[in-house]
Amino acid sequence: MASTIIGAGITIEGEISTDEDVVVAGTVRGKLTAKEAVTIEHGATVEADVQGGSLVVGGSLTGNVTASERVDLQSGSRVIGNVKAARVTIADGAQFKGNVDMDV
Amino acid sequence: MPMTPARPQPRTPVHGGRSSGESEARISRGARVRGRITGTGDLVIEGQVEGDVNVRGDLTIAEGATVTSPSVGAGAVTIAGTLEGNVAATGPVRLGPSARVRGDLQGTAVAIDDGARFAGRLDCEFELPPELGGASQGESRGRASARR
Repeated sequence: MASTIIGAGITIEGEISTDEDVVVAGTVRGKLTAKEAVTIEHGATVEADVQGGSLVVGGSLTGNVTASERVDLQSGSRVIGNVKAARVTIADGAQFKGNVDMDV
Repeated sequence: MPMTPARPQPRTPVHGGRSSGESEARISRGARVRGRITGTGDLVIEGQVEGDVNVRGDLTIAEGATVTSPSVGAGAVTIAGTLEGNVAATGPVRLGPSARVRGDLQGTAVAIDDGARFAGRLDCEFELPPELGGASQGESRGRASARR
């Protein structure tokens, strides 16, 4: 497991792209592209369009999301933006404003 | 495990520690960042970074990593990869045997291992032997094709 980790004290402004997993515990502004799983942890702030294999959000996300597999918005998350994925779950306690496109 | 620096340094960077370091950050091999990286924690770069890097913790540029950055600021800096840009460290700077650095280095101490390639200016306080001018604080200017 050699995933990219954006620690809680770290801010990246710009573009991140990777073939592997990304875990965000800090702040990302710009664009985030990963082939594998993207995890936005509780306490993290992401203001970016996010593309990934799968996406789990526990923190705050502002931006449009596209996942090739699934998107899970966990309890306590706050998401503003459009979500596009074949499978989407929104947990009780998640805040969400935007459109969901499951490509039906 | 990715390449580690040649030898441990005074303030050992959090290296490979998974969730132990709360504010650890790692740009993995295969990852590419274009933009600015700032923050308080340690940072390990194994992939590619283009843009300013400014962290208050320690910075490790691992072997195989490529960093192109007008300005790199950090605590202790360990370089085993390729860096094009200037380093201003509040701690020591170490160039490992596989380091390829073009730019100016500033730190409390600068160590260049055998095998490292370096073109740039060194800016740190050190003792010059008396036969070389004897000034107790010196700056070596010019290009050093480093052999220690």
